[in-house]
Amino acid sequence: MNPESLIGMLAELERIRGLTLDLIDRETPQLRPAPPDTTDGTERAVVDLLFGARRAVLGNPAAARGLHDLLVAEGRRYAATPRGSRLRDALAGSEAVENLRRVWEMVSFNVLDGPAAPNAAPDAWADLLADAVIGHGLDDSILARLRPEGFA
Amino acid sequence: MTLTDAREALAEQSHFIDYLVGLAGLARVVDALANDDHRSDPAGAPDDFVHALLGLAALGATIDRIANSTTAQQNPTAKSASTQTTRWLR
Repeated sequence: MNPESLIGMLAELERIRGLTLDLIDRETPQLRPAPPDTTDGTERAVVDLLFGARRAVLGNPAAARGLHDLLVAEGRRYAATPRGSRLRDALAGSEAVENLRRVWEMVSFNVLDGPAAPNAAPDAWADLLADAVIGHGLDDSILARLRPEGFA
Repeated sequence: MTLTDAREALAEQSHFIDYLVGLAGLARVVDALANDDHRSDPAGAPDDFVHALLGLAALGATIDRIANSTTAQQNPTAKSASTQTTRWLR
């Protein structure tokens, strides 16, 4: 197999990947809520940013996990320095960080956490999409009543 | 175009500096989060989320050092206190 064929195969795989993501996108409308009816430009920009972050994570799980791991590793290295250690303690006690964490969990569904094979999509990502696709159209109004408020 | 035959026109359109500025801006946001007056009591143990924020802050600090060392190099009268930090790309 010559290099041109290999590159052609990669391009085709990327095209298939894109088509599969488009299909999942159509089958999981609950992951893509309608934009709010607002004329507030700032609010609209924030919502677009959050939707974009969710799309980036769910559409590129392996790359997002790689970036996540890189940042965490760099953060742990930085925390070993005096300045990094002070900043770590300040962040850990900050209420603003707690608020940001809630936003991030809502946007990403925590799919970047948990186990993942090297250079592969995290298991939680596959679980989320499987739940979303299988659960699409399922009437779980009875289960919803059993679910404590605040639980996903 | 190949990797060994980069085109200058593309280099001119590079957003590399914009990436660095964006990262430095995010690092400032992390500093602002750390300086929030409202403290959670008791402070939680630092987890991956906190360390990811720290990673952004570390990248921002590195970019700041690069920018400051470049400024110092352009001004030969200024003493560069971070000569070693300019060598990390070599």
